[in-house]
Amino acid sequence: GTVTESATGLPVPGVNVIIKGTSNGTTTDFDGNYTISDVSDEDILVYSFLGFATQEVPYEGQSTIDIALDEDQATLDEVVLIGYGATSEQDATGAVEKISAEEFNKGAVISPEQLIAGKSAGVQITPPGGAPGEGATIRIRGGSSLSANNSPLVVVDGVPLDQRGVSGTRNALNTINPNEIEDFVVLKDAAATSIYGSRASNGVILITTKKGKKDSPFQFTYDVKASIGNITDKVDVLNAEQFRNLVTSRSNTDPSLLGDADTDWQDVIYKTSVGAIHNLTATQGFENFRYRINFSNTEQTGVLKTDYYGRNSLNIALNQDLFDNSLKLTLTSKGILEDNSFADQGAIGGAIAFDPTQPVYDPTSPFDGYFEFRDGNTTNDEMRLATRNPLATLEQYYNRGRVKRNITNLKAVYELPFIEGLEFNVNAGFDYAENEGRNSRPITSAIVAAEREQFEEYFNINRNLLLDTYFNYKTNITPINTDLDFTAGHSYQEFFQYFTGRFTNPNEIEEREPSINRNALESYFARASFDIDDKYLISASYRFDGSSRFSEDNRWSGFPAASIGWKLHNEEFLVNSGVISKLKIRGGYGETGNQEIGPNYGYLGIYTPSVTGASYQFGNQFYPTLRPEEFDEDIKWEALKNYNAGIDFGFFNNRISGSVDAYYRQTSDLLAQVPVPAGANLTDQLVTNVGETVSRGIEVGLGGDLARSEDFNWSLNYNITFQENEITALSLGDDPEFFIPQGGIGGAVGNTIQLWKTGYDPYTFFVFRQVYDQDGNPIEGAYVDVNGDNAITEADRQPYKKASPDYFMGLTNTLNYKNLDLSFTFRGSFGNYVYNNTQSNAFIEAVTVTPDDYYANVNTNVLESNFVDSQYFSDYYIQPADFVKLDNLSIGYNFPFEEVDFRASFTATNVLTITNYEGLDPEIFNGIDNNFYPRSRNFVLGLNLTF
Amino acid sequence: CEKDLDLQPEDNRSSAEATFQDPDSYKQFLAKLYAGLAISGQDGPAGNPDLVGLDEGFSQYLRLYWKMQELTTDEAVIGWNDGTIKDLHSQTWTSGNEFIRTMYSRIMYQVAQANEFLRQTTPEKLDARGVDSALRSDIEKFRAEARFLRALSYWHALDLFGKPPFVTEEDPIGAFLPEQIQRPELFSYLEGELLDIESSIVAANQNEYGRADQAAVWVLLAKLYQNSKVYTGTDRSAEVIEYTTKIIESGYSLVDDYQKLFLADNNTNGAQNEIIFPITFDGMNTQAYGGMTFIIHAAVGGDMEPDDFGINGGWAGLRTTSALVNKFLDDNDDPIEDVQDERAMFFTEGQSKEISDISSFNDGYAITKFKNVDTQGNPGSDPTGDFPDTDFPMFRLADVYLMYAEAVIRDGGGSEAKAVSYINELRERAYGDDSANIDESDLTLELIINERARELYWEAHRRTDLIRFNLFSENGVWPFKGGVPQGSTTEAFRDLMPIPASDLGVNTNLTQNTGY
Repeated sequence: GTVTESATGLPVPGVNVIIKGTSNGTTTDFDGNYTISDVSDEDILVYSFLGFATQEVPYEGQSTIDIALDEDQATLDEVVLIGYGATSEQDATGAVEKISAEEFNKGAVISPEQLIAGKSAGVQITPPGGAPGEGATIRIRGGSSLSANNSPLVVVDGVPLDQRGVSGTRNALNTINPNEIEDFVVLKDAAATSIYGSRASNGVILITTKKGKKDSPFQFTYDVKASIGNITDKVDVLNAEQFRNLVTSRSNTDPSLLGDADTDWQDVIYKTSVGAIHNLTATQGFENFRYRINFSNTEQTGVLKTDYYGRNSLNIALNQDLFDNSLKLTLTSKGILEDNSFADQGAIGGAIAFDPTQPVYDPTSPFDGYFEFRDGNTTNDEMRLATRNPLATLEQYYNRGRVKRNITNLKAVYELPFIEGLEFNVNAGFDYAENEGRNSRPITSAIVAAEREQFEEYFNINRNLLLDTYFNYKTNITPINTDLDFTAGHSYQEFFQYFTGRFTNPNEIEEREPSINRNALESYFARASFDIDDKYLISASYRFDGSSRFSEDNRWSGFPAASIGWKLHNEEFLVNSGVISKLKIRGGYGETGNQEIGPNYGYLGIYTPSVTGASYQFGNQFYPTLRPEEFDEDIKWEALKNYNAGIDFGFFNNRISGSVDAYYRQTSDLLAQVPVPAGANLTDQLVTNVGETVSRGIEVGLGGDLARSEDFNWSLNYNITFQENEITALSLGDDPEFFIPQGGIGGAVGNTIQLWKTGYDPYTFFVFRQVYDQDGNPIEGAYVDVNGDNAITEADRQPYKKASPDYFMGLTNTLNYKNLDLSFTFRGSFGNYVYNNTQSNAFIEAVTVTPDDYYANVNTNVLESNFVDSQYFSDYYIQPADFVKLDNLSIGYNFPFEEVDFRASFTATNVLTITNYEGLDPEIFNGIDNNFYPRSRNFVLGLNLTF
Repeated sequence: CEKDLDLQPEDNRSSAEATFQDPDSYKQFLAKLYAGLAISGQDGPAGNPDLVGLDEGFSQYLRLYWKMQELTTDEAVIGWNDGTIKDLHSQTWTSGNEFIRTMYSRIMYQVAQANEFLRQTTPEKLDARGVDSALRSDIEKFRAEARFLRALSYWHALDLFGKPPFVTEEDPIGAFLPEQIQRPELFSYLEGELLDIESSIVAANQNEYGRADQAAVWVLLAKLYQNSKVYTGTDRSAEVIEYTTKIIESGYSLVDDYQKLFLADNNTNGAQNEIIFPITFDGMNTQAYGGMTFIIHAAVGGDMEPDDFGINGGWAGLRTTSALVNKFLDDNDDPIEDVQDERAMFFTEGQSKEISDISSFNDGYAITKFKNVDTQGNPGSDPTGDFPDTDFPMFRLADVYLMYAEAVIRDGGGSEAKAVSYINELRERAYGDDSANIDESDLTLELIINERARELYWEAHRRTDLIRFNLFSENGVWPFKGGVPQGSTTEAFRDLMPIPASDLGVNTNLTQNTGY
């Protein structure tokens, strides 16, 4: 038979057709056709598909059964998780956005967060550098803090992950196989997040993994994505000829130190990367039991030689319904074995700085044949301060790490028999990771000064235990036509970290003193939601959190939130509108906290003993020392107050839909590492509650089905975010000129290029204003004398521009024509600036005035600036970095086979960057471009077979 | 469950009460106060810093103090591009200078640590912990040393910043705003403190090597009195005579060879009899990227052979100006190589005497005074050649001799004959004979300031000396002072360093020094 959609008559592929009560079944093909055998009289055929009402048809010997499925209004209104419960998209009153698998970015994605880059307004996902498996920086509404963690809380199948991450892995989220993610729900405003209390100030991301589906036949899927990648560009450095000319043109140089080779060191250290991701999935669903098992293998080499990421993961999801469906058990377990080989990224800077007239290899070299600057012929004759051969830096380095991690949780939902609508939930979770690794360099490496190989071994444990218990009660209060949804519960979570290891220091092997860090959170929470007359929504929540990180006086704090919504589309005057299909306005207020302050015992005065090399001599004996640590008895959480107003709309049966949100957030008792009044504490800078930030923004998300027809569909999603973030108070004093230097740069020790100052964005640059001659060339050392004292001192350094964007956007297009589909995603960022540190390291004396008998290469910018000496703090190097990127472009074809579904796709990622920025890549999170690991352009061939 | 939120450290860290259950903890805490001058944190050479406002290696006490006292004068220039470091030599620093800021933080950190030691060792605390009487009498001595070290740091604050914030063990730990103390009041406080501990600290020459004794207290008192005119407006040269005499009579003696004072074995080669108070370093046990590691490595570059200095490589930063070189010359055009004075330790090969470019190591003579080799020329204990064994002679007898002589000239009493003989002892050691000896007619302030340069250059005395002789700012010119190659005078307010803008920004009780 054939299954079609009743409204349009179009065939529906992928419909489950199963004989009720058995596992005998099939699914429809791309034309909606299906064939099922071994059907007996009196069997009942069940037709089910997400978003459609399930139909049951008794078999009475028909040879063909054609079915027209009706859209299911209930499921069209999608269920959205909101933390300790769920709501529907219609009834959500907070700024909540769900991003499902079909909207994810395509390509050989290793890190889950990259699936949703550019997909949601207010969510800025800055991809990492080019290292394989590296994690992105996620900011929801720009983050709220200065020194405390600014990353959102990530909750996977109900288990909040340790916000400190897991050591040894490139990205703590890599435990979650992207292939196994059903959807992401992003909770943006406090009305939505405050149920997570003291960890919610930076937003919350709820990740749900795929589970087996009820009454579905056995299905086996094999998916492979094979990729190759190359860097898209290199840093412009002097070539051998330009370099030779520069050195010889200077008076006090010795050209005999130059070689006669012509080496492009960047070509030497980079290569084509290759990778493959295999996924094998088996899933099946009975009436009371479902399973989904996935095994995945990922291997990816980096574009930087010796970099490698490998991951084997096993995901298991089991669902069992017992006692007439009154007890539902869900077990999810995600296990990974991750193997990394970490390249020494110092080679990236080395390849820029190494003399291009020198060869890669030198047959006379005692350093395994690599050319090195040296004074003699033994492995201790390297010039200690010279640049090291970048290829030797990579190839003479061994750095392997292995992470074993398992996240398992068991969730039980029990419908209490005596009160209808009352459920009891238990979620017990366990996240355990072991990380061990070793790195070493042989004595034949010029980097090693000691008489033995340099090595380090480490072993770490991260453990996170969770127990949530809560009641949920849903009922309808008929007299006032009101749905009530009430949740209340308790949560306890403990985080434990253990580190140990041993290392050469430098001639003896030394055990590292184990370090243990434990902290715990205990919480009570409740939420009540009312839906009155299907028009008016009221929701309120409260969380009471206690954290071990604060003294008893400050330990407990409450986090309330309230929000309202009005479903205008259900009002008389709109309910029959042919144009407006959805119109809801909502508003909310909430308070949240941030307890990721860094120290675990910041309120306690504790003593730290010294370890090797930090003893002091009395007489003939060396005494280890004891240091009292700084502390702030009164330290407490950061408190965020958040106001949000939004409107959701849909036109023409939601063919065009969208939402607009505006927010205002104020963080007080800001946890910042600030200078403490000298003498008042046992440090110079203390993490304490001082200051305030304010951020505000507007987020717009739009979606539309531009074409909907039998053969051709085109849907488009666009989002744009305007945001600004400002420090409004920063210290105990009231000096308006007070600032704290931030943003360390490369080139000389201790230099910074950004500042925190009241009235400015936290990523504001702090520079001298360059003076230019009449031809527009910068005049070396000439800066604007801002304070007019006829001297250029650091009093003339000014806040100027910032690394954070004024606005950013994402645009996703998905088109299908028959069995062919095409999708692409653009992302753009505007108003952001980058400090080009690669250029600021380029001045003539950086080439010629070196501490030993060698010369060093620099960016070709030196030929334009002609600066002789360093001008690190010139705004000449603050460069606009607005960009538009075509992140990915994917084309796929579904082959219409009978027995198997076969899909082939081809994806290019990091396809195109449109920017005026002069450096390698304008997209650098903190805005300091220093030896950036270049992102590669990848081409991915994907094949997917479903049996 | 709520008890589970009362978490205490489980690794090698512990609370105060747990820590002081161990009788050894008191001496280890005392060691921290001394180590505060030598190393930068709890992990040598770096990894767990005391201060976080600047790179750990830069934040080390001696390295900062040395830069304040030497880079601002005619004795040293540095060629690096680190932040505002070149402003020190050009005397164009502002209240935003991070090296000045971190010196100030480091001094106040040291004070705060000493205060905490005194809070943790009160009789009440010791009673409560049941500390036995033997340990208590040790702890009494430790307390006197903690107060000495606090006074030493406060003296640095007095000398550099004039009116720092003032905290003692009476203050709490927290984020309160300390009061500012004026220069004369701080002087009186320090004088009182030192006189108070004079009798409770271990007698002169009787303490373990590395620890302060009565003589160290006397030197510090004498230093206060010597500069009293600058600090309070009142000359106290008579007290300089009184205390330098006590020191000289305490059994210290000059080492036979000047170079031995600056070698890896200067704690055993005889120099220990001249050094009254060292900051100790050790290649294996007391490691830092500041201190002697900085002073020795940064001074080596160009054609200098790192092996000669017992190190694995130079950092090519520090040299000196022609003004110091000329102090050893009768005629500025004479070659320095012909000078008989053993103290003229210059490296000239490939170096120009005059500086045209401060960034270039070859501009300006290099200095070979400090080395990580022992008297026999063997390198120090760290086989990698990174960290020296050489101790820094913070107070030594030769300085005390010159202090005595200066006080005699400044009408503090004493004996001119003794003053001449002390200077001649130094000169005979330097020349190997009496060819350069002086007599009473040579005894002038000009001789003293120049002899102090010749004897004590690069030992972190120069800035204080030049200010006392009014040669630091308004008078006195050397290359690149004022930011110009030929040198120029600067304004008198530079005799004091600015209170860092960052602390003025957080502590509203503070006012800035005049001129900044």
